[in-house]
Amino acid sequence: MKHLLTYIFIVVGSIVNAQNTAIGTSEKLTFSASYNMSGLLTEIAQVTMETSSVKTSNATLLKLKCSAATYSSFDNYFKIRDLYESYVSPTTLIPFLYKRDINEGSYYKFEQYKFNHKVNTVNSNMKKRKSEQNKTVKIGNNTRDIVSTIYNIRNIDIEKMTTGSSQNFTFLFDNEELIISLKYLRKESINTNLGKMECYKFAIGLKNDDALKGTSENLLWLTADDNKLPVYAKFKIAVGTGELKLKSATGLKN
Amino acid sequence: MRRLFIILGFIASILAVILSVTPFSKIAFIPAVVAAIFGLIAFYISRQKQYPKKSIQLIFLLTVISLTITTYKAVFTVVEVGNVEGLQLKEKESEENAIEELEGLDLEDVKTDDTQELKELDSLR
Repeated sequence: MKHLLTYIFIVVGSIVNAQNTAIGTSEKLTFSASYNMSGLLTEIAQVTMETSSVKTSNATLLKLKCSAATYSSFDNYFKIRDLYESYVSPTTLIPFLYKRDINEGSYYKFEQYKFNHKVNTVNSNMKKRKSEQNKTVKIGNNTRDIVSTIYNIRNIDIEKMTTGSSQNFTFLFDNEELIISLKYLRKESINTNLGKMECYKFAIGLKNDDALKGTSENLLWLTADDNKLPVYAKFKIAVGTGELKLKSATGLKN
Repeated sequence: MRRLFIILGFIASILAVILSVTPFSKIAFIPAVVAAIFGLIAFYISRQKQYPKKSIQLIFLLTVISLTITTYKAVFTVVEVGNVEGLQLKEKESEENAIEELEGLDLEDVKTDDTQELKELDSLR
């Protein structure tokens, strides 16, 4: 449960070094995360993904934000207030600064990565309630953070992927490089809160981590249009299975 | 056998009542149905052998209570996000700090092309 929302984010994540064609500068996607037991769905939290532009003295960056907050009925039992931010290049979505601030029950953690893409390193600062750690982590050429990964997945040229083909992507999480595998399954029409939509269906797996269980039980549906909205995701983790459904989408680019 | 079903019925019905008052109230349907089945079996055995049925009635009572609470919550409870003021304040503060942090980073790559592109994106809105 402690990392439930983190795993939810992982489910919709991968990386490509492509131009941004799908994400606008004032986009807001609202999801409902549910826990599934024997087919009985219990809505647990609201997950929001927002973009906005951020100006510094010499550049304008795109801020990608993912936040998660439990519904009021759960706040007395297990309150979650998570905030993930990534400041990226608006065209390539290459991250420069990543922040993660998680409050889950009594668990607190803050993490900050400053990316140096010239020497492929990340200056990491990690804080917990009683400890702090600063570290320089060596990363690969295509290693990003989890938030830019989530957004980058929408810039994949899916039409060029064949059924059964997969891509591996790398992201830094808890100072460790994780590899996520994204396998294209097929096109499928599904009912969503935005109506019936044709979608690309993917199977997702983590190669060097066991956060996501099963081989074909972690699924993601992206709309088969230029926005490639993540409308629906199913995931299996240690504490059970869950779903992520898109409730509303505003400020879309296309 | 009757005693076994009564014990199992009690356990299931108490679990159903406990679950029905938690946010996972929908899950209470499962032990409630199980309790009702055990209760019916125990009731059938008791009726055949002319045993008292007071304890079985209690199982049904607990089951009905849990089903009532669960159904009420499923129908009338509005799903809404709790207080996120703290999160919004934290976000604002985090962005201010991030801008300071970004000033110290090498953003040479995004100075020109990306800024231009972002202006174009903004103009499309």
